[in-house]
Amino acid sequence: MNEGPDLERVWLGVAAQVWRRRPGRVERVLAVLLRSDGLARALVSTPSLLLPWLLATVAVLTAGAAASVATGTPLVPLLAPVVAAAGIAYAYGPGVDPAYELTRSLPVGDRMVLLVRVPAVFGTDALLGLAASAASPHAAALTFGWLVPMAAVSALALAVATITRSANTGVAAGLGAWCLTVVSARAATGHAAAAVARPALLIPYAVLAVACAAVVLIGTGTPRTPGLGAPKRG
Amino acid sequence: MNVETSGLTRSFRRRKAVAGVDLALGAGVYGLLGPNGAGKTSLLRVLGTVIPPSSGELRLLGRDPAGHAERREIRRRLGYLPQDLGYYAGFTVVEFVEYIALLKEMPRQRVPRAVAAAVEDVGLGDRARSKLRTLSGGMLRRVGIAQAIVNEPELLLLDEPTAGLDPEQRVQFRGLMRRMGERATVIVSTHLVEDVGAACDRVGLMSDGRLVFTGTPDELSARGAGTGVGDAPLERGYSAVLAEIRT
Repeated sequence: MNEGPDLERVWLGVAAQVWRRRPGRVERVLAVLLRSDGLARALVSTPSLLLPWLLATVAVLTAGAAASVATGTPLVPLLAPVVAAAGIAYAYGPGVDPAYELTRSLPVGDRMVLLVRVPAVFGTDALLGLAASAASPHAAALTFGWLVPMAAVSALALAVATITRSANTGVAAGLGAWCLTVVSARAATGHAAAAVARPALLIPYAVLAVACAAVVLIGTGTPRTPGLGAPKRG
Repeated sequence: MNVETSGLTRSFRRRKAVAGVDLALGAGVYGLLGPNGAGKTSLLRVLGTVIPPSSGELRLLGRDPAGHAERREIRRRLGYLPQDLGYYAGFTVVEFVEYIALLKEMPRQRVPRAVAAAVEDVGLGDRARSKLRTLSGGMLRRVGIAQAIVNEPELLLLDEPTAGLDPEQRVQFRGLMRRMGERATVIVSTHLVEDVGAACDRVGLMSDGRLVFTGTPDELSARGAGTGVGDAPLERGYSAVLAEIRT
């Protein structure tokens, strides 16, 4: 870049055109809806919304639907909450996003990114789960019953991931809690599907979802008092 | 003044990482020296609005970062290179710098040219479309510098920016710092005193969370005349000041 300022300007113009990334149609629509190019870009690059993850989700739910047809046990409603919990725990956050420290200093903050990614992941997983349920005749009666437990397990996984700064721990907590719930339901009623079918459980699920969402909001906010975060070298 | 602090502290449980720092900095390059654990990184994280102070006064770019709207405005005009730059391995250099530019709320039409300029400024034009996972440590450090300067920040905070750079790249980087310092406040934390001597107008030396010396590089060198330990005048000044406060 020693040839002079005009040549430098010309080269930068060329480089800008050659290197520029053309956002896809989905990203452009999201940018209009979210009124933020940054949020749109963050949303389309969500790990758990990328194709490999979605294919894995479809594979798990398809296997669940097939097993439901073969055995008569409604597996899709029992699988869907865990699938969603994993997706949401990996949506964003400390220990998950490698550039987390950097994003804490940006105007479109980590919490905003989280707030757009979580509904997107949840909605996508819910749609996939509904499709799998529809294909599974034994689960048809439970089609909507698992949405509330799915919200609760997802919120629990995200809250634990946020507090512990580890998506894996979040997934483990969601999976562990859900397994415990299903096993308890089976022990109490003789049917594992009672974990998603009993109306009496809806309120506890909803309370858990709201409480965990509150924990996430508090955990991802910029703390007004010290204590959160860890000291670093230097 | 772009940075004004008074009695600034930051504690992590019982330990005070920053223990009462007073600063008033306008445009120019300010070097932050000090041994490991002196509080340099914690101070930069507070100035970068990554973590709030525990107590004391803080104003950045004439605004109070405690308020949401003002903090957001500060962040639009801020460039920050963390000590450990996390990155998305599957992104290319320009994709990563563009992503950060968008999250800095730069207008989309300005982004491609700003990204190209930042990538060229750090000498990564020939690797612009390489995936980050394929880059060396020094190249990744330069990607970090590119994302920090892409929005032409008025306040630029660099934590160990020259770690991993070879001597030629360090010389180029010093030139970049000096250029940035003509119109912005650049605060650079480093262990390399030669970087401070070559690029900084002023220097602060931290120890145990406190600024134990503030002045020009020449003034720091003068403190070591005939007493300090080290091969270069700045190193002797650095070690003399630290020895003085430890006795």
